[in-house]
Amino acid sequence: MDERRSNPTASSRRDVIAAGSAGLVATSAGCVRRARNVATRDPVGPLSVTITTAVADYDREGIQIARRLAETLELVGIDASLRTVSREELRRSVLVNHDFELYVGRQPEFSDPDFLYELLHSRFAQESGRQNPFGLTSGTVDELLSRQRRAGAEDRPDAVAELLSVVARECPFAPICVPDEHRLVRDDRFAGWDDAYLGDRLGYLGLEPLGEGDLRGVILDTLPTKNLNPLSVEFRNRGIFVDLVYDSLGALDGGDVRPWLAEEWCWEDRTATVTLREGVEWHDGESLDAHDVAFSYRLVADTSLGTGSMPAPAPRYRGLASIVEELEVEDGRTLSITVGAEPEPGVRAFLVPVLPEHVWEDRTDDATLFGFRSTPGTTEAIVTDNVPPVGSGPFAFADRTERDWLALDRVDDHFSRTAEELPEATVERLRATVHPRSTSAIEAIEANDADVTVSTLEAYSIAGVTETDAVRLVTQPPRTYYYVGFNVRSAPFANPEFRTILARLLDKAWLVEEVFEGQASPIASPATEEWLPDSLVWEDGDPVAPFLGDDGEPNVSATRGAFERAGFSYDGEGRLLARG
Amino acid sequence: MFLYVLLRLTVVVLAMVLIGLVVVVGTDRLRRSRRDVRRRARAIAPAAAVLVVVLSTNSVARRVVPDGSHIVGIRATFGVDATWWIYELEGGFLPWLQSFETAALTAYFSFIYVYGYVFLLVFPVLAYLALPDTRPVRELLVAYSLNYALGLLCYLLVIAYGPRNVMPELVDALMYDAYPRYQHLTRQVNRNTNVFPSLHTSLAVTVALVAYRTRETYPLWYPIAAVLGLSVAVSTMYLGIHWAIDVVAGAVLAAVSVALAARLVGRFSPGELLGRFSVEGLLGRLSLRERLER
Repeated sequence: MDERRSNPTASSRRDVIAAGSAGLVATSAGCVRRARNVATRDPVGPLSVTITTAVADYDREGIQIARRLAETLELVGIDASLRTVSREELRRSVLVNHDFELYVGRQPEFSDPDFLYELLHSRFAQESGRQNPFGLTSGTVDELLSRQRRAGAEDRPDAVAELLSVVARECPFAPICVPDEHRLVRDDRFAGWDDAYLGDRLGYLGLEPLGEGDLRGVILDTLPTKNLNPLSVEFRNRGIFVDLVYDSLGALDGGDVRPWLAEEWCWEDRTATVTLREGVEWHDGESLDAHDVAFSYRLVADTSLGTGSMPAPAPRYRGLASIVEELEVEDGRTLSITVGAEPEPGVRAFLVPVLPEHVWEDRTDDATLFGFRSTPGTTEAIVTDNVPPVGSGPFAFADRTERDWLALDRVDDHFSRTAEELPEATVERLRATVHPRSTSAIEAIEANDADVTVSTLEAYSIAGVTETDAVRLVTQPPRTYYYVGFNVRSAPFANPEFRTILARLLDKAWLVEEVFEGQASPIASPATEEWLPDSLVWEDGDPVAPFLGDDGEPNVSATRGAFERAGFSYDGEGRLLARG
Repeated sequence: MFLYVLLRLTVVVLAMVLIGLVVVVGTDRLRRSRRDVRRRARAIAPAAAVLVVVLSTNSVARRVVPDGSHIVGIRATFGVDATWWIYELEGGFLPWLQSFETAALTAYFSFIYVYGYVFLLVFPVLAYLALPDTRPVRELLVAYSLNYALGLLCYLLVIAYGPRNVMPELVDALMYDAYPRYQHLTRQVNRNTNVFPSLHTSLAVTVALVAYRTRETYPLWYPIAAVLGLSVAVSTMYLGIHWAIDVVAGAVLAAVSVALAARLVGRFSPGELLGRFSVEGLLGRLSLRERLER
């Protein structure tokens, strides 16, 4: 895309220089000055943008959003093309390498607004991973991100509301909609599907078997069969299986964090004294103690543990781990953890997975390939497939066939089996089989070849589901949203006005109807209802970035007016001009 | 699931082949060729060996090459990310083609895409084996190998996703939604970026072209192969698996492969080749050398 934009520029400049040099012989110093002045100006050319998106095999809705946006941009005078990639490649390009202009993405979790800290804080702008892929650097946003962390329970809603308003103005990404989460389950095989969220570890614990046999899940994603590294950002979205293999101090239960690997914690001001459960072992028989916990937080902050030429922060859990300010091991079972937040959002720091030091301490060197060192900061910890994983969780890795299936076996002496208050693994084996499409996943459940679709079903397939006494569609409150992200590191995307106009070229209501077939809710701001101030609630339309047009069709002259007011101009052929 | 689908495929194709052999080749020819099996087997052995090598490396390469070429930088340097380019060029054609969708057509083309295609590839090998002249079967096998080898080279250089991946709402992936189990089969053998050219088309057209060359021997086979070949080509587009450009490229690849195969098979007769590398051949050359040295 860059080539296309700069090539005509380069050649026209060469022409001017060539013409200039021919005449130079007979001219004075003043003319040289003038020639230089003329020849060294970069022309402002027509803008062309590239939208990166995963193709339909990985994101059926995402590619349609991207295509619609490209068509709309073309109509308003911006040359747009799509870069179509796999899900893994999308995350590598955008999250790891920041090699994108616009992309269509899906935020894995946003139940607590503190997720915005990881997403938008300028301290993460240079890092690779889930943290700040947009490259936003705004003092105001940073300040508000910290404030909502430090605000007491009474003040936090206001702090969050202010943060959301500023984020809406800054517009580092345009939130689109929250897709409904539909899963198909068999009620004749297990009871308790509705007790917990099925996009999370607790959803697969505490199920009541109504017959014999394994828990048979269906996934629409081959990635968990290839890689089980909790720190891998390319291969993980929500990480349900990784969360069943690894424990964390706390577990997300609804919107709350409840003790999990920690037996309890008590807060004194911003310091929690955390007591681990007794006698916890890793799946390889080594015992787990407080040093492993401390190690895990150090590893997320720098996977080279200070041995590399530069820090190599983990591409996942960076925001959660950044809540921790001080961590001290008191004894084998006790830690004191001081957080830079009030306990309310601060307790989310306990969601970081606990990794075994004796396995991961050997993964701190930069990874090598055929004997060559990789890019500095790319440690083995970040790139390892981590198969088989050694965790401490309720399930241990059993076997897999790449691209086909993954099996986890119950750990019989896991603490959840004896702790009364915790849901436990009720089946000996959890087997997840990859299905290529929602339609074949539905067929598997209906034919009683599987018990639950662990992946959510794609919107278009819902109409084809036949519910019976045994087969039921479970719809749970959604935890993800779609958005279009901007790379604000480069012009013209560095300009918030420009980004806002692009956001206003997405007809969210139309997309929800046409692309999601009504199985989604449009949003104006990336927060759940309880956190939204009235000014950001979607009622009849978008209160922040209303669509510049009607019924999916952009209003070309209104858009042109908006761009011109923001300081942009058009050429004679109706193309938007911009420096890029 | 995969095994069940595979078993069904084998049984159906076997039945089709048996019927084809009786109708097209005739029981007389079959009976006569039984006596000549050994000679013919020896004659086609080199071509068959090449095909086996190409196929076995191909199945690995199709999975490994996309990742491998990224690492070595081949794709970054020479590769073309062609999806959007193709979409902009012909985006409207497939939705138009699919506007003729009926349940019967979907059933027909799904059947053709899976069963018809395999039959089309397997049957002529057997039919040509029933001829005393082994040249057609050798040409066919060499043409198959060339299709796979050249096709893989294209996959390495042209990265493109098929229409169903870009326009899921317009181009219904008809077969996979109507018969989800088929995807278990095709997923095993391919990557979703391997669309340019359409190997389904190129192999089907290859069979049709060779059928044209042998139309005097098997006058009945040529029209059957032509109709089936055309159906396979259309099915890949109708089912949203390939772009029209992939199909055109597939047909070109077929023509190139058949032309090259005709030349290669003429030039290196397997007997000569075998002779050159056989023990007697080596001894013969050795003794010549000895004589010269004396």
